[in-house]
Amino acid sequence: MAKTILAVDDSSSLRQMVAFSLKAAGYNVIEAVDGQDGLDKARQQAVDLVLTDQNMPRMDGLQLIKLLRGLPDYAKTPILMLTTESSDEMKQKGRAAGANGWLVKPFDPQRLIEVVKKVIG
Amino acid sequence: MTRKKILGSHVKRLLSGVSAHGGRHLTEVETDLLQTERLLLEAVERLTTSFMAIHQSVEARQRSIDLLLSGGTPSAEDSARLTAMSGEVQQHVNSAITSMQFQDMTSQLIDRTLKRVTGLRDFLGTLGAHGDDLMPESGSDEIVERLGKVSMALAVQSLELRSVLRKSVNQQHLDSGDIELF
Repeated sequence: MAKTILAVDDSSSLRQMVAFSLKAAGYNVIEAVDGQDGLDKARQQAVDLVLTDQNMPRMDGLQLIKLLRGLPDYAKTPILMLTTESSDEMKQKGRAAGANGWLVKPFDPQRLIEVVKKVIG
Repeated sequence: MTRKKILGSHVKRLLSGVSAHGGRHLTEVETDLLQTERLLLEAVERLTTSFMAIHQSVEARQRSIDLLLSGGTPSAEDSARLTAMSGEVQQHVNSAITSMQFQDMTSQLIDRTLKRVTGLRDFLGTLGAHGDDLMPESGSDEIVERLGKVSMALAVQSLELRSVLRKSVNQQHLDSGDIELF
């Protein structure tokens, strides 16, 4: 059965490109427009991996990760950040919040798929 | 210090503060706009290359299909090329997807520039509003007091503006970014 990935990004074109790339590799993709939407969708449906942006309206990626990690169903679910942010300081914050990895935009579809496969198979 | 000197010192502080504040923000606007221009230029160049390459691959594939449809037998070389074309097209599509992400980066840079411009307009508005309160017949004590107030208001506004302007895009090119698993 295909694994499900929750892609959270306030840029619709970015979400489309992530979904296009991951669907082509055989994954199911659920899209969310910001952290709050991502949290709502994660509560509605179990996902195998969360791929989230950092800077978004209403709720940012770090806040989303902290809240997800507080939910029993998401205590160990892999969460990757996909963001333009590239500073060590932000990466450390992501790690402390519970992220499992940090991908700096722009992403290359092939490399994204390789990382996702490595993390969830 | 004499009243005249106090007044002069307040005016000097206000003018140099406004000048430094305005200059600093305009320099950042210039930097962000130049970065945006670079990213846009590179995106257009890369996307043009990708689309031309995809078009050429599709045309070549169509020629092979036409040959097969007309009953011709493709050579071993044609067959190998046909097999390799899917990979080639995928590579060009991947490259186009990476380049298309310019929109995400440039929109963040433009958003930051807009916030800065709005902040500068508010800053100048505060300066104007305090200036309107000054009457030609105002005494120097009153002017000193008003200048002190406007300097304080501008300092607060400057700090508030700085707090919403953290730079989140430092990319100068559209090469795919680093990946780090924790």
